[in-house]
Amino acid sequence: MRSWGGAALCSAALLVPRIMTAAPQRPDSITFTVVAPQSVRRGKAVPITLRLTNTSAGTLNLYLTGRTITFDIIVTRADGEVVWRRLEHVTGQQIVQVKTLTPGETFELKDVWHQRTTAGARVSAGDYTLTGVIPTDREALRTVPLPLRIKP
Amino acid sequence: MSCHSIAVRLLCGAAFVAASACSESTSPTSRQPVAVLQAAQAPDLSTLARDVPGFGGLFLDHGVPTVYLTDPLQRGPLEHALGAFARGRGFAPSQIQVLAGRYAYGDLDRWFQKVSKEAFAQGGIVFVDLDEAANRVLVGVERGASHANVRSLAARLGVPAEAIVTRDVDPIQYAATLQDQVRPVVAGLQIHFGNFLCSIGFNAVSGGQNSFVTASHCTNRQGGVEGTLYYQSLSSQPNSFIGTEVADPVYFRGGVCPKHRVCRYSDSARAAYAAGVPFTLGGIAQTSGPNDGSLDITGSFAVTSEGTAVVGDVVNKVGRTTGWTQGTVTNTCVNTGVSGTKIVQLCQTFVSAGVGAGDSGSDIFGLTGGSSVQLLGILWGGNSGGTQFVYSPINQVEQELGPLTTF
Repeated sequence: MRSWGGAALCSAALLVPRIMTAAPQRPDSITFTVVAPQSVRRGKAVPITLRLTNTSAGTLNLYLTGRTITFDIIVTRADGEVVWRRLEHVTGQQIVQVKTLTPGETFELKDVWHQRTTAGARVSAGDYTLTGVIPTDREALRTVPLPLRIKP
Repeated sequence: MSCHSIAVRLLCGAAFVAASACSESTSPTSRQPVAVLQAAQAPDLSTLARDVPGFGGLFLDHGVPTVYLTDPLQRGPLEHALGAFARGRGFAPSQIQVLAGRYAYGDLDRWFQKVSKEAFAQGGIVFVDLDEAANRVLVGVERGASHANVRSLAARLGVPAEAIVTRDVDPIQYAATLQDQVRPVVAGLQIHFGNFLCSIGFNAVSGGQNSFVTASHCTNRQGGVEGTLYYQSLSSQPNSFIGTEVADPVYFRGGVCPKHRVCRYSDSARAAYAAGVPFTLGGIAQTSGPNDGSLDITGSFAVTSEGTAVVGDVVNKVGRTTGWTQGTVTNTCVNTGVSGTKIVQLCQTFVSAGVGAGDSGSDIFGLTGGSSVQLLGILWGGNSGGTQFVYSPINQVEQELGPLTTF
């Protein structure tokens, strides 16, 4: 088994005789961004990449969700209305995957938005924003919203 | 009272405190009139012992300042020394209650230190206290441990037998969480395999084999037995290996299974406990309350039956990420596609309650009174918002894993 760098141990006794306390390492220095074209023509598929980088000097353990890492992409109109969510109406396995990132290491998660609403309708031309979300076993990691213009 | 660490001690009763229930200080108690707030602070008992001959301890008896004196004639010095304190508690010095003490505080403190220094070497000692409210040295002995050893020790140390009181007590426990290493192993605790974390669903005996059940996807490969090795709570901890996967039926195609999908009736697998790993059959870790977000273990539930939930039933789960959550069954026997896979879990139950990554494998149960619960199934999934979880009913778990003794 691999060594979990973030685990700290201290002995104790509980309702039971023995306990070891594990303090999982948490990311304190990461960048998480969403990457996509600034504009696309209406009807064209929009490639979207979520990019997460360890910018710290140490190894980070990220406590992510799923045997295949679960991630969400949220597309909203300029007025804030959500038009598409990658994980809408999805049932996912509630397993934690510990993803280890060495200093400077980046990993990417990719998907494509086909310019359709969650209900399947085509979206109209206009201004939208894209937000990436990676659920963890605590607070989800979220990107800053990225503007996207859909041209007629 | 049990807040001893050095010879200089302060009264540390709950009645005295707002913020620091057990603070200690070496500053002497002032003999000058003091403000009420200061006067309410606990006096330095060592100073009292020096200034009041025969002083044997101070405590509040239903709010009334009460003092042990071996010499009743010392009431005058006592009222002088404790006057400000008494007034601060709303009593005149003359209202201080005096009890006949057998031992002087200085003697008790010396015996306390002697016993404390030696007693813990014997084992089975939970605490040693100079009990101000009893004018004795109190030794807490773990239930089942010998009291005679304490008395022998006291005799050897020259401590009068009558000055020592022993009492059966429970061990003092550190707070542990669902993510800590806990023995005996109970349901709801974190388990670790590969680079994944899940929760234990329940303990069981199958064909004489001591086991625990968790989710099938909490194995090295979902469906099929690969001998997954499990640790509680992390493999990096000493003595954390608890068992090996021994049952995880393969997913099937055809029949009732939708086209191009693979199916099972439960997302469950069984692991055999390693020899010597203590576990509690029917035990489920209990936290402080449902839906309060706490992961601190405060007790345990006991499985006393198995059952099936219907829409509208209130059910519970305890898992390593979101702890004890509780909500209403919204749908039953739902054929459920699993995100990112070709898997369809047949006839599953949906519950409107909190869930998070790492809760996979958790126990699902209904409360039946006191700490007794009815085991209902194994949690494996949830929505992205963490507001709805999905579980496999216990009858389907046993249909696939075989008969299980769960309590």
